[in-house]
Amino acid sequence: MAVDTVSAPTATAPPHPASKPTPRWRNRESMTAWLFILPSLIGFLVFTAGPVVAAGVISLLDWNLFSSPTWAGLSNFARLGPDPTFWSALGNTAYFTFLSVPLTILVSLLLALLLNQGLHRIAVFRSLLLLPYATITVAVAFVWIWLYIPHDGLVNAVLGVFGITGPAWLISDNWAMPALVVMSVWKSFGFGMVVFLAGLQAIPQQLYEAARVDGSSAWQSFRNVTLPMLSPALFFVIVTSIIGSFQVFDQALIMTNGGPGTRTTTLVMYIYRTGFENYDQGYAAAQSLVLFAFIVVITAAQFLMQRRLVHYDN
Amino acid sequence: MHQRLSRRSFLELTGLAGLGAAVAGCSSGPPAGAATWAMWSSSAAEKKVWEDFSKYVEQQLKVKSVPTLTPSNGYPTKLDLQLVSGTAGLVTAINGTLIPTYAARGAHRPLDDLIEADPDFDLDDFYQPSRRISSFNQKTYAIGFDVAPTVMYYNKTLLQKAGVDLPSRTEPMSWATFRDLAIELTKPPDQYGFTCAPAIDDLVSWIYCAGGNVMNDQATRSTLGDPEAMEALQFVIDLFVKDKVTPPIKNLVSESSSSNFMQGNVAFMQNGPWQVVNIRKAKFDWDVIPFPAGAVGSTPRVSGSSFAIPSGVREGADLDLAWKLLKTLTSTGALDIYAKAGRNNPARLSAGSAFQPPPDNLGIVQQILAGKIAGGHAFDVTTNWNQVKQLLGQDLPRTFLGQVTVADAIAGLTPRLDVLMRQHQDNIRQATARKG
Repeated sequence: MAVDTVSAPTATAPPHPASKPTPRWRNRESMTAWLFILPSLIGFLVFTAGPVVAAGVISLLDWNLFSSPTWAGLSNFARLGPDPTFWSALGNTAYFTFLSVPLTILVSLLLALLLNQGLHRIAVFRSLLLLPYATITVAVAFVWIWLYIPHDGLVNAVLGVFGITGPAWLISDNWAMPALVVMSVWKSFGFGMVVFLAGLQAIPQQLYEAARVDGSSAWQSFRNVTLPMLSPALFFVIVTSIIGSFQVFDQALIMTNGGPGTRTTTLVMYIYRTGFENYDQGYAAAQSLVLFAFIVVITAAQFLMQRRLVHYDN
Repeated sequence: MHQRLSRRSFLELTGLAGLGAAVAGCSSGPPAGAATWAMWSSSAAEKKVWEDFSKYVEQQLKVKSVPTLTPSNGYPTKLDLQLVSGTAGLVTAINGTLIPTYAARGAHRPLDDLIEADPDFDLDDFYQPSRRISSFNQKTYAIGFDVAPTVMYYNKTLLQKAGVDLPSRTEPMSWATFRDLAIELTKPPDQYGFTCAPAIDDLVSWIYCAGGNVMNDQATRSTLGDPEAMEALQFVIDLFVKDKVTPPIKNLVSESSSSNFMQGNVAFMQNGPWQVVNIRKAKFDWDVIPFPAGAVGSTPRVSGSSFAIPSGVREGADLDLAWKLLKTLTSTGALDIYAKAGRNNPARLSAGSAFQPPPDNLGIVQQILAGKIAGGHAFDVTTNWNQVKQLLGQDLPRTFLGQVTVADAIAGLTPRLDVLMRQHQDNIRQATARKG
């Protein structure tokens, strides 16, 4: 049996007053650590936690921004049920997420696998492919408006080469949202690609060598080595992509303004309009809390699933 | 002599510098007693006009003028935040369609007491539609700086080339004549007869000319489904969908009638005189004529913008300065600067002579406002016009694309518009209770 040599002070050896241990948070190292995280902590409290709490309070008020707010209780939440635009916006946001997240991940992963092959001048390709992600959405959205022009746009011109008559993308009931998804995938695949590339480069080569010795095919290596080893990166990209997709706003505002009809009105766009164009702050806050709850629940579900699906090599 | 700077000293100095910059940033603001005002500005030419306004204010009031200029699309949001945070200027510019929205919520103060107490201020010098646009709940909330009816621009070069007689400079043509001309001048994909924005702002002129409106006089229910409004909607939609006299719509958000007209291959464009300054760059000969006359004549939308005083401006010296500033910004001298720059027709009759050609027939704008030729209809809006516009902006554009019939679109819109009209009535009741 192991003997604990560092015993607690006994009654026979009272601690000297000078040796009273300093509380952990007051020692020099902790103070330094707090000092370093303080700017970030202040930023989080002021710009993230504070507004979330404020939104909770505002959601219980009837407030038009300019005159004094009045107590509304839960009536703002009760308005959500019979509001068809809210449900339509929620459905559109879910549709956007359902299409854009898998597509973004697929494109990012394929490009990362390609770039990981040790191509000549890989840094140049990597930089070029990262450019869309580094460009501001407003600029990209305007370029894509031109690409999607029904008669003279590049997209339909290319389709025309193959004998396909392209639709009027941004004003079509059926194609407006897919058009936004394609633009969003193009805009955001760079982020996932970089994360996947970092993940791929961290996979030990001996695992592939062992797989080869065991007679694995390329697909089997990918399925049994690459994917499990890449799962933490994959999990990170899935979580951030879903959160980002639920907050889609700027491209829809610029390219379609939510139309035609409400086909591309997203939840964040509807929240913005409710709060800052219709001056209904309480209802906008209630909507934003519902969106927040959706994101929390989906993210929590993903964290629960990761225990079974994500492989950490530690 | 060089002295080594330790890392600790470097960090301390950096921290102090950052703190200093933050304090300087927080404390910077207009000097006390300055004449502060807010205005939208989206181009260098527009900025120059407001800078000239600012100089004029300084000459007249002998105080520093501090304008806050914001691009027009971001202006309402910035103004809202300034009004809420109490950092708005003494005077703020407002688009006429938003005056009831702000007034009903108590964001701006009524000006009647200030007008009454000031014998030098002559409200009668302002065009009647401007006064109507600037009022809410029988009170004056703003003083106009521009006002104008919608007119019809036409490409003289194109009409002459096509051998078509130029339309009358003063007598509005009938809708039937206009449609025939538009069809005659359409040769797709090279040439089109007409262009307008696929939105309520342009549709409403046709509705007024047919004797209809978006809502009834008391604004208690929507009247878009009434026969007059339906006739107007059907007429315009047919120009797009049936007659196909308009350039194909490429994108509902970025569709711009002035861009289409500037291409030089469109015969007629519906727009306001505020576009004159841009159309002057056209490489073809053009002019303006009165809007085509419907069942009740040529009574297109008359719209304008105004200056108002936020309700947060304190009584006393601040309010005195705010009133003097508002009077100066809407004075004949200031509006002369505005009109001479060609921005739009000034809201004052006494400044009208400064809004000069080109185009040759620009004078009809003031004749229409004065009731000498054709006519106009002040843009009727509600206290929740953003919502009304948003709702109409969702479903009406689909009729321009032929995706939905006018009847179906209006049938779907009417119950929702009626809900908004009831909200509007609630807003009025609350404003009245607040003595707003």
